[in-house]
Amino acid sequence: MWCFILAELLVFGVFFLAYAFARTHDVELFNASQLELDRTSGFINTMLLISGSYFVVLAVDRIRHGHSRACTRWLIAAMACGAAFLVLKLVEFSGKIEAGISMSTNTFYMFYLGLGFFHFMHVVLGMVILGAVTLKAWRGGYRASDYAGVETGAAYWHMVDLVWIVLFPLIYLLN
Amino acid sequence: MKAATFNWLILMALTALSFGVAEAGVPGGAALVPVLLATLFKGRIVIDHFMALQGVGGAWRWVVLGWLLLVLGLIGYAFQYAQT
Amino acid sequence: MKYQSQLVAKPYFIAAIGLFLGQILFGLIMGLQYVVGDFLFPEIPFNVARMVHTNLLIVWLLFGFMGAAYYLIPEEAERELHSPKLAMAMFWIFLAAGVATILGYLLVPYATLAEWTGNDLLATMGREFLEQPLPTKVGIVVVALAMLYNLSMTVLRGRKTAINLVMLVGLWGLAIFFLFSFYNPNNLVKDKYFWWWVVHLWVEGVWELIMGAMLAFVLIKVTGVDREVIEKWLYVIIAMALITGLIGTGHHYYWIGAPEYWQWWGSVFSALEPIPFFMMTVFAFSMVNRRRREHPNKAAVLWALGTGVMAFLGAGVWGFLHTLAPVNYFTHGSQITAAHGHLAFYGAYVMVVITMISYTMPLMRGRAANSPLAQTVEMWSFWLMTVSMMFITLFLTAAGILQIWLQRISDQPMSFMAAQDQVALFYWMREYAGLVFLSGLLLYISSFFIKGKAATAD
Ligand code: HEM
Ligand code: HEM
Ligand SMILES: [Fe+2]
Repeated sequence: MWCFILAELLVFGVFFLAYAFARTHDVELFNASQLELDRTSGFINTMLLISGSYFVVLAVDRIRHGHSRACTRWLIAAMACGAAFLVLKLVEFSGKIEAGISMSTNTFYMFYLGLGFFHFMHVVLGMVILGAVTLKAWRGGYRASDYAGVETGAAYWHMVDLVWIVLFPLIYLLN
Repeated sequence: MKAATFNWLILMALTALSFGVAEAGVPGGAALVPVLLATLFKGRIVIDHFMALQGVGGAWRWVVLGWLLLVLGLIGYAFQYAQT
Repeated sequence: MKYQSQLVAKPYFIAAIGLFLGQILFGLIMGLQYVVGDFLFPEIPFNVARMVHTNLLIVWLLFGFMGAAYYLIPEEAERELHSPKLAMAMFWIFLAAGVATILGYLLVPYATLAEWTGNDLLATMGREFLEQPLPTKVGIVVVALAMLYNLSMTVLRGRKTAINLVMLVGLWGLAIFFLFSFYNPNNLVKDKYFWWWVVHLWVEGVWELIMGAMLAFVLIKVTGVDREVIEKWLYVIIAMALITGLIGTGHHYYWIGAPEYWQWWGSVFSALEPIPFFMMTVFAFSMVNRRRREHPNKAAVLWALGTGVMAFLGAGVWGFLHTLAPVNYFTHGSQITAAHGHLAFYGAYVMVVITMISYTMPLMRGRAANSPLAQTVEMWSFWLMTVSMMFITLFLTAAGILQIWLQRISDQPMSFMAAQDQVALFYWMREYAGLVFLSGLLLYISSFFIKGKAATAD
């Protein structure tokens, strides 16, 4: 799993730098387009992912003490955060699409939509992984001596969070 | 688990701070360093405490932290460069 | 060899080697036509020779994959093949279709062939690598489906391992993406767009699964390393291959009229495509270093290691060389592309098929390994082919750099043909290296006929 996480970080890292350096060629365009974003939505989404990560930490802590039920509950809470993130993100995207904006509009929007969608798919994948872990935890499949599966799922989820923590200031805030 | 709760609150506070800086219309040049530093700090919390890589032996922690430092550093450089 | 039905792999491998020889002969013909323009004209025009060369390549690699699958799947599933008869019938159908198609290319003008074979019903012909007449394409699909049915039934009822699942998924993917060869939109942009779904998603997607499975299979056998270790590697490699390879398709969309954002997406993802190839190299070497036994078949081990190295060089290094959009802007469609195409195809797919043949053929002929002499000859052929292919690549790269300079960068750019004249020296050298390659191949074939006592582990 860690190999996988590193590879993902690598891909995102390259994209972040591509954004930062592409921006140097056309600062005005990037700044102007950035102002059209819904910053508040991005902010709420950051809070959601951070909280999701926190809940996952609690879930791991619960199962470490052998509490399957509580672990399951926190995992569900984390997934609820993920789901809310996805909904907000969809609202944001559909707003842009209604405004006639696409990846071909300009380089800024290429990155905003492209990276956003790519990250979106990672949240979806993270939810799938957490879902599988939740199901197993709910059935009592983990115990205090054996919870590697929960930790692995948690690591992936934190990675998705970590990437967003960089992505949010980069694309929404810094100008 | 108090520590985790504390970290969570810090993460939220730093996010709110960065967001506030942008909302307040602080010019890009002045906001750059604080926002990047806040991001670095947030990233470190996630890596060390949430991913629980702190205290794990071996290279993983340094590779992930290195990733964070490198990416943020180069972003900072590129934005600084664009200012001039 | 544990199961009688694995023997069906043998004719597949023999046919593969035979067609390989044909491919090389036509390569040499073309190489000469590059410098002696009217060689064999009008009997075999360049475009026909090119079609024969590349189609033979694809067909024999497919024979190799199928043979490998028929050998590997029963062994991994721990049961006989669902229907050996079906597998043999498919062999003959595929061989007949392949030979008829090549003869069609050689004996009939392409336009006439198209007319005869119903291209006006469903136009699919005339595109590089997918030149096959409609009946041949349909034949390929039928053969592939019959094979998939046969193999899937075997796996379903037998033991499921990472290796046979990855192999099976790879083969299913191969068949599914081939279906895009039937889709030929009038819009030239769309045509190219989906053409790459066959070509790129084959070699930089599903074929990598097939290759990984074959390599893992042979490595388990010759090194005795634990299956769990090898399977872990296999999973990581194929995950990386798919993550980078799927969106990496974008490196073919830079200049064909597709949206501009592909310059970013293609560059970033394809720049990471060398990673799985690099991991294959590390994989092969570390497994051999950790081996638990000395397998008597040294030649197979050599081929397996060679595959790791050469695949990384050809696909990874030579691919990376021209995959970033700003570089590809200059190198697109030049001899650099040909250099990369040759080394990648050889290093990855030719070599992995030979690895498999090298490991399985002695077993199918009733011994653990060939005689020491036969193995020595085989290893010589390894070096001759591999080194000469390396030289072909280097000469083409040199030709490519010069070509790009003269034709696309210099202050007074030359016309295409004028630039080609300037690099003729390299084309001659390529042809000489090609002759060495041919001698290596002949030596390889001869190694099958060397008798002697089977080698044992020492
Ligand atoms: C075993 C794997 C591979 C094989 C067999 C292979 C083979 C080929 C072939 C035959 C072509 C020429 C296609 C044509 O236009 O007719 C080609 C083009 C290309 N390949 Fe690969 N390739 C492999 C892996 C890679 C990898 C890993 C990369 C990138 C890192 C790459 C980058 C490219 C690029 C950029 C082109 C387009 C060249 C141009 O614009 O003319 N290839 N490849
Ligand atoms: C294992 C051995 C070989 C493989 C895998 C192979 C593969 C290929 C491929 C994929 C192409 C199409 C390249 C493209 O579209 O850019 C090609 C074209 C060609 N090959 Fe090979 N080839 C092999 C051996 C040879 C040899 C030994 C020669 C001759 C010395 C040769 C000469 C040529 C020529 C002249 C072309 C046409 C290039 C062009 O269209 O400009 N090949 N080969
Ligand atoms: Fe490609």
